Amino acid sequence: MDETLRRVDEIRKSSSELENHLIDELVAGKITRRDFIRRGAVVGLSLSSLSFIAAACGGDDDGAATGTGNGETTGQAQGGGTLRTGIIAPAGDLDPKTVADEGGLAVLGQSGEYLTWSDEDLMLQPRLAESWEPNEDGSVWTFAIRQGVTFHDGRPLTAEDVAATMNTLADPDVGSNALSVFGGVLSTGNARAVDDATVEFTLDAPNGNFPYLVSSDNYNAIILPADYDTTQWTTDFLGTGPWMLDTYTPEVGVTYVKNPDYWDQGRQPLPDTNETKFYAEEQARVLAIQGGEIDVLSNFSVAGGGALLNDPNLTILEIRASQHRQIHMRTDREPFTDKRVRQAMGLLLDRQAIVDGLFEGRADLGNDSPFAPAFPSTDTTVEQREQNVEQARALLAEAGMEGGFEIELRTWDGFEIPDLAALLQDAAQQVGITVRLNITDPGTYYGDAVYGQSPWLDSTFGITDYGHRGVPNVLLTAPLTSKGPWNSAHFKNSTYDGLVADYAAALDLDSQRTAAREIQELLLDESPLLIPYFYFHLGATRSNVGGTVEVTGMGHFDVNQAGLTG
Amino acid sequence: MIIFTATTILPGDPARRILGNTADQRAVDVLNEELGTNRNPFVQYVDWIGGALTGDLGESYRTRRPVSEMVGNGLENSAKLAALAFLLVVPLGILGGVAAALREGRLRDRVISVGGLSATAIPEFVWAVLVILVFALWLDVLPVTAQAPGGASIVTQVEYLLLPALCLVFVLFGYISRMARAGTIEALDADYTRTAVLKGLPQRTVIRRHVLRNALLPTIAVIATQAGYLIGGLVAIELIFNYQGIGLLLLRGAQSKDLPLLESAVLVVGIIYVVATLLADILYSLLNPRIRLGGAQ
Repeated sequence: MDETLRRVDEIRKSSSELENHLIDELVAGKITRRDFIRRGAVVGLSLSSLSFIAAACGGDDDGAATGTGNGETTGQAQGGGTLRTGIIAPAGDLDPKTVADEGGLAVLGQSGEYLTWSDEDLMLQPRLAESWEPNEDGSVWTFAIRQGVTFHDGRPLTAEDVAATMNTLADPDVGSNALSVFGGVLSTGNARAVDDATVEFTLDAPNGNFPYLVSSDNYNAIILPADYDTTQWTTDFLGTGPWMLDTYTPEVGVTYVKNPDYWDQGRQPLPDTNETKFYAEEQARVLAIQGGEIDVLSNFSVAGGGALLNDPNLTILEIRASQHRQIHMRTDREPFTDKRVRQAMGLLLDRQAIVDGLFEGRADLGNDSPFAPAFPSTDTTVEQREQNVEQARALLAEAGMEGGFEIELRTWDGFEIPDLAALLQDAAQQVGITVRLNITDPGTYYGDAVYGQSPWLDSTFGITDYGHRGVPNVLLTAPLTSKGPWNSAHFKNSTYDGLVADYAAALDLDSQRTAAREIQELLLDESPLLIPYFYFHLGATRSNVGGTVEVTGMGHFDVNQAGLTG
Repeated sequence: MIIFTATTILPGDPARRILGNTADQRAVDVLNEELGTNRNPFVQYVDWIGGALTGDLGESYRTRRPVSEMVGNGLENSAKLAALAFLLVVPLGILGGVAAALREGRLRDRVISVGGLSATAIPEFVWAVLVILVFALWLDVLPVTAQAPGGASIVTQVEYLLLPALCLVFVLFGYISRMARAGTIEALDADYTRTAVLKGLPQRTVIRRHVLRNALLPTIAVIATQAGYLIGGLVAIELIFNYQGIGLLLLRGAQSKDLPLLESAVLVVGIIYVVATLLADILYSLLNPRIRLGGAQ
C-alpha cells in the first residue's frame, strides 16, 4: 500500500499542474476511470502512469456499455496470407492535401501515419508523436517526435518533416482540405521544429483538444517529408506506416505489402498482403462481403446493409460515433423566430422510435446539441428531451401558432434522410403543421456552400448530414456561432459564442464539462437545430477472420493485427 | 456544346463538388484557380475544343488524371461487356425468333414471344439483383462483381462478365427475337420462298439460303441501335457490379461537374453510335443485293 502511494506521489511530482488536477478529479470521483485515462492521454500522461494511477486511485467505472466495439474475433489469426478489405471508392484525386472523402482518407491511413491515432473509443494513441503537453493555458503545445522512424524510401523522419507538413496544411495559399480543421486554431508558420525530436505548435487561441486536431481525425495530416510534392503521392503512396505500396489501379483498388522496417514492434503487420478494394456503391460492397469477395467491410449502413446484420457468416463491428443529422430552423425567419415554436418542434419527435426504425436501435439519442454521448466532455446529466405532444401544442398556442402552419423542408436524397424527413412530416402533422418535402440531389441542396447560393444555408427549414468528428469543437463553432460558415439556422447568440470559446480553451475535463453543460442547456432552450440521433459506425468481417480488425468512426480501418483462421 | 452549356448553367462549382460542402472556401478557391474553372465559360470551352482537336482531351477535374486514359479504360471495359453480351444474345435471339416463326401461332411461338417480351419489360438492374442472388449468393458459382483482378486470363474475365452479360441477354433477347421472327414470317410468305419450296429444295436449305438472309435485314438494323446502349447506357449494371465502364464514368463526371471527362465521354459514345449505324448500313447492303446493285441501274 505504501509502495503504491509513494509511486503515485512520484508521478504527481513529475507531472504538470494540469495533470495533477486531473488526478485530483479522479480521486474526488468527479470523473470515471475511463474518462481519466482518455483525458490523461490527451494532455500527455504516459500510458503506464495512467493505468497505474487509475488502478490505484480510480473510482467507479463507466458502466454504460454501448457498442460492441471492434472485433476481438474468435480464432487465432494465422500470420501471412492476404486480407481483402472493401472500402468506398475514393471520390477524387489521392493527393493527401486535398482528400476530402471517406474512401480517400482510408487509403491515406494505410501507408501514411499521423502524430496520434484516434481510436474507436475516441482515445488518443501515440504514433509518430511519443508524448505531448500543453503550456499553462493551452496556447502552446509541444510534441516529442518518435526517433528512429524511416519513410518507405529510407529517409529518416525528423521534427522538420512534421513542422513542414503541418505548415503546408495550414497555409491558405495551398488550399488544403485541412483548413477546415486548422482554421482559427493554427496559422501557417506556427509549427516549429525546436530540435530534431521536438515540435512546438503556437496556436491562435488556447485549445484543450488540440492533440485531436493533429490525429487521424485530421485525415489529411499524414506526416510526409518536408520537401515532398503531394501531387505525386499516387506514384509511391509514401509514408511511415506498416503498409507499403505494391500496385495501384485507379478506381479499382490498392495492394500493399508489409513494411519490413516498420517502427512499432508491438504492431507488426500479420498478413503479408493488404488488398484494399474500391466499391463505388454500397450495394456492391455489401454483396462483396456476402459473396466472400472481401474479408473485411470497413463501413456499411443499416439502410444499405440490413441483410448483413443477421448473416451467420459475418461478425459485426459496432462503434459509437458522432455522425448525425441536423434539422435547422432559421431563427431569423417566420415561423421559427419564436423559440417556443422551435422547442415545440423538438418535443414532437419520438426519438427512440426513430432510432429503432431507422437504425434498428444502433444509435445514441441526440439531445439537440452537438454533444454526442460518445464525447467524454459531454455532460450526460442534462435531461434528455423526450416526446411531449401536449407540451408542444401548448407552446405553439403561446406563440400564437395553435392553428399550425405550412412550411417547406429542403434536404437531399441520400442515406436515411428522406425517411427522417417523412417521419418529421408525420410528427408535425400531429399539431397541424404541414411540412412540404422538397428533396433534391446533394448538388442542388448544397449549391455553392456559401450564404446566398445554397439552399443548405439559406432555407428556412432543412436537414443536413454531418460526419463523425473525434471532438465537438468544429460542430460547436461552424454551424452555430455568429460567424460560423455552416450556420444554416442563422443563430446569432453572443452568450453561446462566449461559452464555446470557454469550452475550447478548457484544458481539463471538469471545466470542459462545465462549459458543455451550459452550452447543452442553452441549446435546449433556444433550439436552433434538432439533432435526433448520433448513429453508430458499422463494419463487418467474415467469421473466418481472426485477430483484431479496427474500424473507427472517422472511416479509417486497421487490419494489422488480423488474419484468416484457416 | 449542349453538355457544356447544361453543365455550366446548373448550380454547383467543380472545386466545391470535389472538396465537399464543408471544405474551407479558401481551399475551394485555390482548386478552382488550379483547374481553370473560374475563367469565362466561353474561354474554357474553346480551350477544350482546341485541345480535343489536337488529341489532348485534358485532365479530369476530379481525379487529375488524363481524360484519354480514363475514357480509354472505360471504353475497353464497356466494349468487353458489350462484346460478350452480343456474342450470347445475337445467335440466341435469331434462333429464338426463327424457331418461333416456324411454328407461328403455336405453343413454341407463344412461349418464346411472350417470354421474350416479359424479360425485356423487366429493367436490367432488376435482372442484375436476381442473377446475383441466384448465381452468386445461393449457388455460389459466379462472382458478385464484374471486375476481374488485374492480369486475369480471358477465361477468368469472361467468368466475371458472365452475370452482367446474362442480364443484358435477358433484356435484349425479346427485342431481337421479335424482329427476327417478324422478318422470318415475312420471308416465309414471300414469292421467292414459295418458288424455292416448289423447286423441291428441303426446308432446311430453303431457310438457310433464302429466308434467313431476308429475315436478318431488320434484325441487323435493331442490333446496331443497341450498340450505343450497350456501350454508354449501362450505368445501373456498372454500379451494381462495380464495373468501371463508360456509363459509370459519365455518371461520376456529371455528378462532379467534371467537364473535360464528361465532354470526352459523351463525344466517344456519340462516335460509337455513328460508327455502329454505319457498320449496320454496310452490312445491310452486303446482305441485300437490291441495295448494292440499286445504284447501277
